[in-house]
Amino acid sequence: MSDYFPEPGSFNGKPAPLGIGQITIDVGGIAINVAGIQPILLEPLQERYAPFVTNAPPNHRVMLEAGSPRYLDHAAGALLRLEERQDGGAPILVSHNFAARRKGKLGLLRLSAPADAEDSLMAIENYLRWSLADLALDRSGFIFHAAGLARNGRAYVFFGPSGAGKSTVVSLSPGYRVLSDDLVLLVRGERGWRAATTPFKGTFPQGAKDRGTYSLRGLYRLVQAPANAVAPVPLGLAVGMAMACCPFVSDPAKRRDKLLPLVESCCREAGVRELRFRREAGFWDIIAR
Amino acid sequence: MFELKKFRRNPDVSWRLIEGQAVLVHNREGEIEVLNEVGSYLWEHAGEPLGELARNISRDFDVSEDEARRDAETFYEDLAKSGALQPVPEQ
Repeated sequence: MSDYFPEPGSFNGKPAPLGIGQITIDVGGIAINVAGIQPILLEPLQERYAPFVTNAPPNHRVMLEAGSPRYLDHAAGALLRLEERQDGGAPILVSHNFAARRKGKLGLLRLSAPADAEDSLMAIENYLRWSLADLALDRSGFIFHAAGLARNGRAYVFFGPSGAGKSTVVSLSPGYRVLSDDLVLLVRGERGWRAATTPFKGTFPQGAKDRGTYSLRGLYRLVQAPANAVAPVPLGLAVGMAMACCPFVSDPAKRRDKLLPLVESCCREAGVRELRFRREAGFWDIIAR
Repeated sequence: MFELKKFRRNPDVSWRLIEGQAVLVHNREGEIEVLNEVGSYLWEHAGEPLGELARNISRDFDVSEDEARRDAETFYEDLAKSGALQPVPEQ
């Protein structure tokens, strides 16, 4: 089997929506409307994104269509594959179970298995992540692979490579509002950087989240260690570490060129510290000092 | 010997000098590199005469000019292999 990419220009025809359902999801003030939803998918979508559903006018709209039964090869249990290309100046994203194009404020998402609600939910989630990566940049923000927690109106964001302990930090922090254990939206506001809850599925129950944005108190790069400690990270290194945790960083160049100064600004203003922690809640004592 | 003048920064690498450290983001793979102070200086001045760069490094970083030149050559070779530098077409 080999990969199948949509032919150039194949997204240019008139959309053929799967259904008439629609839902608008708000992430940190960015509203994305998903339309053309087939009946089998409407209720699961409403359930998954319940805390984030809004009536606000959308900043972006994506229409669901039936797609090819297969796109990229994907072995069971293998890492998710996402490949981005350009088609007539518009970005195309292809995975094993969908192909999508965004053009201005409109998107088309072609599902490989529209009768399979779980498979379609996964495709929509990946489309939302991809779109949000660019929509956030237009608002001086970016999405960040990190765990986010908030207390007393302030957000603490923990990042690091897979396995660094993001979900552990969340599980060790009862009493804190959970922004996400996977992906946080960071946006520069008039009074500094803010962190927003995202609806994306991590290991933490989606229903326990609320929709909110909080003043960013600090960024912490997670390192597991035998004892808890915090140490400042030089800014250049901090920006490099943070860039490595920004999804969809590789393509296209204009995304990277917008992202790099924003990440620098966020790291400079919020500050980045290395948090060495030993998987127990005592790390909050040294953060709060 | 490595012909430094035949290389230049790859425009597909986004980069930014932050408090003396160059942060490089490679195209496609999205690989990130953070260079130290000397590496950042060499990156910023890639394509300039190596003798001059070695003299400046020798002056500012307490290292002999020969050693600075050798290190700079190795550094540029590594960057060329990683794709961060690319060949300049022959005139």
